[in-house]
Amino acid sequence: MTSDGLPTLLGTVVGGSLTDGVEVRLAEGASVEDIPVGSYVVIQGETRRFFGMVSEVRLAATDSRLRSAPAGFEDPFVSQALTGTAAYGSIVVRPRLVLPSVAGAEGDIAPARTVPGHFSRAARASEADVAQVFGAEGGDNFAVGTPLDMDAVVCLDLKTLLQRSNGVFGKSGTGKSFLTRLLLIGVLQSRLSALLIFDMHNEYGWEGGDVERGRRVKSLKQLFPSEVSVFALDEQRARGASVQPDFHVEIGYGEITPDDIMALRETLGISDAAAEAAFALGRRFGDGRWLREFLRLEGSDEIGELAARINVNGAALATLHRRLTNRVTRLPFVTDAPGADAVSAIMDHLDRGKHVVLEFGRYGDDVIAYMLVANLLTRRIHDRYRERQSADAGEGRSTTPLTIVIEEAHRFLSPAVASQSPFGIIAREMRKNNVTLLVVDQRPSAIDAEVLSQVGTKVCCLLDDERDVDAVMAGASGSRELRSVLAGLRSRQQALFFGEAVPIPVAVQVRDYGTDTSYDALMRRRPRREAAARGPAVARSNGAASEDEDDDPLFG
Amino acid sequence: MALDLYRTAAQIDAAVAIADFGSARERRMEAVLAALRDGDAATLNARVEEAQGLLAFLPAEAVEPPGSVFDAPAVPDDFSVVATDGSHIDVNRHLPLRCALVNIGGCRLTYGAGADAELFSRPRLRTSDAELFLRDPDTPSARQAVEGALMGLVRTVEEAMALAEAVEADDSGLPTLALLDGTLVLWELGGELPPRGRYPDYVREQLLDDGLLSALERIRDVSARRQVAVGSYISLPNSTEVVNLLRLGLCDLDPVGHCQTHCRALVPGTRRCDAAHGLTDRELFERTLAPGQRSAVFASRSPVARDAYGAHRVHFFYVNVEEEIGRVEVPAWVALDPASLSLAHALVVDNARRGAGYPVALQEAHEQAVVTGADREAFRNMVERALEERGLPVYTSQKQRTKRRPWV
Amino acid sequence: MTTAPQAEARIGEVVEAGSTEFAAECYTLYGAPPLGALVRVGDPAVYGVVYSVTTAALDPGRRVAARGAGEPDEASVYRNNPQIARLLATHLQALVVGHDRAGTLVQRLPAAPPRIHAFVYCCDDADVRAFSEQLDYLHLLATASVPAIDEVIAANVRLAAEARPDGDGFRASAARALAEELANDVTRLKAILRSIQ
Repeated sequence: MTSDGLPTLLGTVVGGSLTDGVEVRLAEGASVEDIPVGSYVVIQGETRRFFGMVSEVRLAATDSRLRSAPAGFEDPFVSQALTGTAAYGSIVVRPRLVLPSVAGAEGDIAPARTVPGHFSRAARASEADVAQVFGAEGGDNFAVGTPLDMDAVVCLDLKTLLQRSNGVFGKSGTGKSFLTRLLLIGVLQSRLSALLIFDMHNEYGWEGGDVERGRRVKSLKQLFPSEVSVFALDEQRARGASVQPDFHVEIGYGEITPDDIMALRETLGISDAAAEAAFALGRRFGDGRWLREFLRLEGSDEIGELAARINVNGAALATLHRRLTNRVTRLPFVTDAPGADAVSAIMDHLDRGKHVVLEFGRYGDDVIAYMLVANLLTRRIHDRYRERQSADAGEGRSTTPLTIVIEEAHRFLSPAVASQSPFGIIAREMRKNNVTLLVVDQRPSAIDAEVLSQVGTKVCCLLDDERDVDAVMAGASGSRELRSVLAGLRSRQQALFFGEAVPIPVAVQVRDYGTDTSYDALMRRRPRREAAARGPAVARSNGAASEDEDDDPLFG
Repeated sequence: MALDLYRTAAQIDAAVAIADFGSARERRMEAVLAALRDGDAATLNARVEEAQGLLAFLPAEAVEPPGSVFDAPAVPDDFSVVATDGSHIDVNRHLPLRCALVNIGGCRLTYGAGADAELFSRPRLRTSDAELFLRDPDTPSARQAVEGALMGLVRTVEEAMALAEAVEADDSGLPTLALLDGTLVLWELGGELPPRGRYPDYVREQLLDDGLLSALERIRDVSARRQVAVGSYISLPNSTEVVNLLRLGLCDLDPVGHCQTHCRALVPGTRRCDAAHGLTDRELFERTLAPGQRSAVFASRSPVARDAYGAHRVHFFYVNVEEEIGRVEVPAWVALDPASLSLAHALVVDNARRGAGYPVALQEAHEQAVVTGADREAFRNMVERALEERGLPVYTSQKQRTKRRPWV
Repeated sequence: MTTAPQAEARIGEVVEAGSTEFAAECYTLYGAPPLGALVRVGDPAVYGVVYSVTTAALDPGRRVAARGAGEPDEASVYRNNPQIARLLATHLQALVVGHDRAGTLVQRLPAAPPRIHAFVYCCDDADVRAFSEQLDYLHLLATASVPAIDEVIAANVRLAAEARPDGDGFRASAARALAEELANDVTRLKAILRSIQ
């Protein structure tokens, strides 16, 4: 019996194929009602143990008359006798992995390339089986939660995860940020990658929201003060916060390139011609000066004159001018003379082993602000990494990889802009330059299919729109059962993990986050020795946070 | 098609049309009935005595007034009826082994408070010389093969023996009727006086004195202790002994009954006694007996019965058992004892009524005894198999084979 | 299952025997066990389930005639015709459902049918309980082609359930065994199950 009191034995294999999965006729006592699609099943073949997922649940009858003339069968005695015999349940299990033939034995776990034989016995996967599949917590294995119907721990292989760009999807309100924060903690602790987080909604810095429970939860800076640097865009908001940001970001006119304008084309609502005009301006005035020069113009006459001079459409140029003035340069952090170079600061922090959270403050709701900043910074940081990568390659050094976390990713990765967007480039070049993405998005269907196909591991919360589901599932094996699983997720704290960092797709009850116990659990993961070594430094550098962290084992 | 039943039926119809069922027969019947009504036992018996030896027919001896009828007496509350019957497979010359099978079946039916029934059958294979031949103890070379008619007699004797045994075995103390099927008169054995029977004396001694009469005697012994009547029942009797007796009542010649003298030259139909011609006792008593009633008792004048039976001299009466007129034969000691006679009368009527016109006890005895065609076949096979097992030659005649497997 | 024969349970003897079924004549008129009852025959024991009980004239050539027209009641028909009880015989026919093989009960056909004149015993509750521990015999019943076998099966299960302390549980497991056996004929199955209930 499993912990939920249900029988372990489900039934026996009676047919099937590798492609469609094997059919398991349910044994007496095993009810279809207890076997949701997506459940894990272990099938003991003659020489191998197969680990698979329920992809279909059916009701069958040995005699078609049962279907056509059901009168009388509803009698409890009759129906009880018929259930599991003449009328039986069957499930389709798609074998995905081959486990060592003896349960619990050490051995390799390999993808299944065949199916168990007839009459092999299928059982619910035990916690031990699941643990064996997902590995034990610790090292590069980061526990994200438990499978929906059991207590085993599901671990992500962070090393594999970080080889590629990844995605967290789900309609709004399904806890993407929550989940992302958890993943980031895992990555952060693993030290396998540096993080640059474009924190649109101020979730990842000091604290975040728990909408469901109506409370604030600790975020990265609070948990790992010495390892996280918060960069703020919104000076006004930052000024009121209890914890001061490590850096105020300002964007100089000189830093905004025509490419950045091109990336904002749709958001700004300007024509191609207008966007192209920026390039003409760039050629005319130089990349570092074009905006300042352009915005210095006043009145339609001057603009018309310029348009004629650089041979662009006058109306388009006027629109560009109007939009830049109204929508871009009015942003307080966009200034002609920035206090410091944000890109260099970020690089500096990253180089110092810090993870950077860029809080947008109020500007998170301003799409233009968000996109402008994210694009601009990413492009330039990516450039830096690219330069460094070629240098390192020459010198035989390796650079710490960088993971850039971007919310509302579809805005940067839509088919129209993905080819030019730095994010599109990063996604497509994989890890060539040591930079990968963690895209967080509620509308994956709006993301360029090619970009999505490069996403190594997908973490998917509930999605309503069929197109979004199609987009996420594209290319996944066994997408039919994955869809069922996805559709069956609750809207909070449950997610489907599939892709490279998990051996098989898994629907996860995401581990608790936001309580003291949950913080403890997360922090315990970290090797003690290291924590002890680093802890005091953190405390010194950020004493203001200490009283909130009394119960933190780090400081306890 | 073995027998063309359509053609046969047509011929039967023709025969019935020609037969004498008309008013002439009715007139003759009236005459005989009158003779019965008016007949006086002593007169009739005297006429018979007078004509002794000269009669061309066998009359009965009147014991009671011939025309008298008797209602069925009351049946006792508790009683039993014992009956036996026999069947046999005669010696078959086509069979390699000389043997015969006699199967005696019987029953004892107990009525009343302790109603019960016992059915039995005893097959007996006769293969030894002693069983297959009757020998003259004085002349060892003289013997009679027990087969054919003689086998029939032997079987009757065995039936009577079985009956006696059954009566003796019954310790219930109930009034009992012991019944045989058919006649008690072994007429084939003949009497002391001419005409003599066809068999030598030693045969008669063995079958009659040591056989039937000995059995009857045993029953008579039992009757000393409790009420037992023994008899035989003949269904659809064709005998004419009573009618023949009445012929002497009809005869107006002097001296009566001297047929050879008076009537030798007369054309049949012109004699007075011709009124009785072709009538049977049964037809006669159909007119006089109401259901349950019996006729007067008569004694048989059959030479063998008269000369050899002694105390068991065969007496008989007719009885209306509702469906038919049956003939009941009883030994003298039953016939002349009113209680025994009443018992016989009452129980025959009762048992026949239970058997829808034929005594149940005889039916059941018959069923126990009967050897069917299938039984005969099985018997033959058993004999052949037994021979084969012993490595003895088994041959059957060509005729027998043909009968068993008809050519198509 | 090698319980000593109980004299009171001896009901008749085998008069016809085959591999799959046997017929027995009962010692007493109307003395057959109920339809579906378990009977034991011979030594080593062969087990049968009564599927047919017939009372008829002992001699197949004789027809039974109505005799009661003038009788006040049925009992007096028998009393006034005492021979009837002797002329009628009650026969039972039973399907072979198992046998004793070296002390072990096997619910399969025996190598040889019971012998003619083998005594037939009506199994008592203890026998029935022991026999019904296995349900393999239901296969032999379900596949037998004898008239009204479904009624026989249902009657057998009911009788066995009555003999067992776990009657309802037995009914349920027998029902499931039958459901597996007759999975391809649910109409028949339904009829049996409703009759078992």
